[in-house]
Amino acid sequence: MAEQHSRLQVFTSNWQAAALLLPTLALIAVFLYYPFLETVQLSFYQLRVLGSGEWVGLQNYVQLFESGAYRNSLVVTVLFTAATVTASLFLSLIISFLIHEANRFTNLYLVAAIWPYAMPIAVAGIVLDFLINPRIGVVTWAIEVLTGFQFAWQTNGALALVAVIIAAVWQGLGYSIIFMTAAFNQVPDSITDAAKLDGIGRFQRLFRIYVPLISPVLVFLIVIQTIGAFFGGFALIDLMTSGGPSNATNVLMFNLYQDAFLNQRFGYASAQSIVLFGFVAVLMYVQLRVTDRYAYYGGA
Amino acid sequence: MSIVPDTVNERLLTTTGDSQLATHAALWLIISVLILPIALAAVYSTQTTNAVYQITNVFPGSALVENYTTVLFEYNFGQYMWNSFVMATVVIVGKLVFSLLAATALVYYDFRFQSLIFYAILFTLLMPLPVRIVPLYQLMADIGWLNSFAGLTSPFIASATAVFLFRQQFRSIPASVVETAKLDGIGPIQFLINVLIPMSKGMIAGVTAIMFISTWNAYLWPLVAIIDRTNQVAQVGLRYIQGTGAEGFVQWNLVMAAGILVLIPPLIVLLVARRYLLSTLGGGE
Repeated sequence: MAEQHSRLQVFTSNWQAAALLLPTLALIAVFLYYPFLETVQLSFYQLRVLGSGEWVGLQNYVQLFESGAYRNSLVVTVLFTAATVTASLFLSLIISFLIHEANRFTNLYLVAAIWPYAMPIAVAGIVLDFLINPRIGVVTWAIEVLTGFQFAWQTNGALALVAVIIAAVWQGLGYSIIFMTAAFNQVPDSITDAAKLDGIGRFQRLFRIYVPLISPVLVFLIVIQTIGAFFGGFALIDLMTSGGPSNATNVLMFNLYQDAFLNQRFGYASAQSIVLFGFVAVLMYVQLRVTDRYAYYGGA
Repeated sequence: MSIVPDTVNERLLTTTGDSQLATHAALWLIISVLILPIALAAVYSTQTTNAVYQITNVFPGSALVENYTTVLFEYNFGQYMWNSFVMATVVIVGKLVFSLLAATALVYYDFRFQSLIFYAILFTLLMPLPVRIVPLYQLMADIGWLNSFAGLTSPFIASATAVFLFRQQFRSIPASVVETAKLDGIGPIQFLINVLIPMSKGMIAGVTAIMFISTWNAYLWPLVAIIDRTNQVAQVGLRYIQGTGAEGFVQWNLVMAAGILVLIPPLIVLLVARRYLLSTLGGGE
């Protein structure tokens, strides 16, 4: 990102520049940097009431890493994230490829495939919560009639995780398809034609030729969907399982929320925030090492 | 084409025809699966509570008007939707105005620490809400903004993504246009309004659509920051309505109606602004 602003420089007044930047800088200082630094500080304190506490050094962190509940939460989060990101990216890749391959209706297909991007996670959560309800949900009923399998996710931990993963994949598809379709459209026609003339099968073409060509987008999507699954799973868990049964879906974010706002363990929750920050920082670093072209779309 | 044997050409054509059929069939199937849950939710939202508990009843019922009016007025969903709408509007206008101003300073001025300031803004991408939620809650409690509109919206207004996108956009505006404006001797705000904004309409529309969807869909912060139900937004309102039924007897027809209501605004934004949204997101450069 070489800076070339001198060519564009129109104005010279430094105080004007400062005034233009002031609103943004003031807001990020007060609502982003300050609370973030404060989180770092709080993570070394034990507090029951916000605002007063005692310094306990690394005790919150030690407690975290010794806690079986937290370790469980970590495992659940990794499983949820890995399954969601893998399934979501694989399906998006197939769908985007099919849209790219179609000779007509591509705009229609694109809109019909990306709309879940606009769907609130909470809506995905409550709609599926009902449709796959083990007692009265029509989808669970159909599965049982057709296969004899009881999708009893409200009492079976592994199935509960599957249920929230399905919701997360469904809601997350649209975003990936938007980026993948754009990437496919940038693959030169000559490469596609050459591959077709060589008689390479279409799925070989997808995985051997297209996937390497669009790999920067895939890395971006892996990173952004991983971060999204780490944090975005919260609404699904809150609405569908409340972390249960027996903590089988108690992801890190839900655990943090409970410790902070239900158990009032603010220092302990802050230490959990810092662990999450560590994950985000590592992922973003990986992203930037590969390509910085897409890195900035992740924020709000 | 002469270098390609005819047989290969023929094979290519025929396989292309077959595979097109398969492609379209697969796409219709996938899209049907993606839409099915929402279609079912829409059907259930027209049924009575008794009907919704009959598993095999997937036919439209007679309670459409009744369900939606109950949700909107008795369960206050009208109020929640309005609150969401006002929140999204305040956040989007704030983001657009502040980010446009910041991007102007970052592109058309030359001052010390310019890059440093830009990177300091970008660095906030590493600080999503969960990483600062406890002190943010404390801050809002300290300044009396918990349970208020100011507390709900203020953490969302600064935007690294919008600053970055507008900075990219401004840097792509031809130097000749900028030179002309420079010769006219206009001030920065005039320059922004008369030159930069008209030349960035597509990007502004795309950013607006993205920001609307992400703000409308926010769940965690409203859940934490708003205690009084009348100030709550629609996403958390879904949680209230899901929890109203006593002894596990949830009025799923009403929950589905609420879900459909909450889905409609971002869906409309996606459909109306999809061209700008796609070029802003997928366009890359």
